[in-house]
Amino acid sequence: MTDDQLVTRRAVLGALGALGVVAAGGGLVTGAPGTAHAQGLGQNESVQDTMKRLFGDKPIKDGAAVIKLDLPLIAENGAVVPISVNVDSPMTPTNYVRHIYVVADKNRIPLITRVTLAPEAGRAFMGANVRLGETGDVRAIVEQSDGTLLLVKREVKVTVGGCGG
Amino acid sequence: MSDIGKVRLRIPSSIKPGDVVQVRSLVIHPMERVERDAQGKIVQKNYNYINKVIVTYLGKTVVTFDTTQGVAENPFFSFTFKATDPGQLKVQFLDTTGGRYEGIADIKFS
Repeated sequence: MTDDQLVTRRAVLGALGALGVVAAGGGLVTGAPGTAHAQGLGQNESVQDTMKRLFGDKPIKDGAAVIKLDLPLIAENGAVVPISVNVDSPMTPTNYVRHIYVVADKNRIPLITRVTLAPEAGRAFMGANVRLGETGDVRAIVEQSDGTLLLVKREVKVTVGGCGG
Repeated sequence: MSDIGKVRLRIPSSIKPGDVVQVRSLVIHPMERVERDAQGKIVQKNYNYINKVIVTYLGKTVVTFDTTQGVAENPFFSFTFKATDPGQLKVQFLDTTGGRYEGIADIKFS
C-alpha cells in the first residue's frame, strides 16, 4: 500500500513538473510574436530614420500632380483624424500602385500604415482614421509597380494630441 | 469591452458589374497606445492593437493594410475594389494578441 502511494505521489509530482515546463514553454511562444511586432513595422524613431528604413536611398519624386491627400487643415482631436489618399493612376496588371504609406512626421512612431494594393482594387485609394501626436506634416508615399516613389505632404494643425504617453 | 471585434461593413446599395466600389469598414477595437514610464521610455509589453487588415474578394486578396499604433481607436478603413462577379467580400482584422475578426458582405448586382 505504502509503495503504491509513493508511486502515485511521485507520478503526480512528475506530471506537475511536466505541466510547469509546458506552461513556461507556452508563455515563451506567445511572448515571441509580441516582441516581434514591437520591433516590426512601427518603430519609435525619427521620421528620417523611417524614410531611410523603408525606402533606403531611392529617389522620391514629388507626386502632387497625381496624389490627392485628403486631410483636415486643423484637427481638433488628434486621436481621430480622418485621412484618405487617392492616386490618379491606372490599375492594370502591368502598371499599378503597389503600396501607399502614410507617415506622420511628429508622431513618435511615424509610420502609421502601409497599404498593399492589387490591380483588382480598381482604384488606388485608401482611407483610415489615424492618430496625430502634434502639429506637423503628414506624408503619403506611393510606390508604383515599377518602383517609382512619389510623395506628397501636408501640414495638419493638431489642437489636442492623440498619441498619449 | 465586450464589443471588441464587432465589424461593420458599408457597401453601396446598388452595384453594377465593372464598377469600382468603395467600401467602408469599421471594427470595434481599443488599439492600445504605447505607454511610457516617467523617463519617457517605452514600456515593453505586448500591446493589443490591430496590425493587419486583409480584404479578399472572390477568394483573392485585394487590399492589405499593415497598421501600427498610429491608427485611431475603433479603426475605420476604406478601400475600393472592382466588382466583376457576384461573390463574397471578406474583411479580416488581425490583432497582436491573435484575435481575428471578420466581416463578410455579399456582393450582388442589381
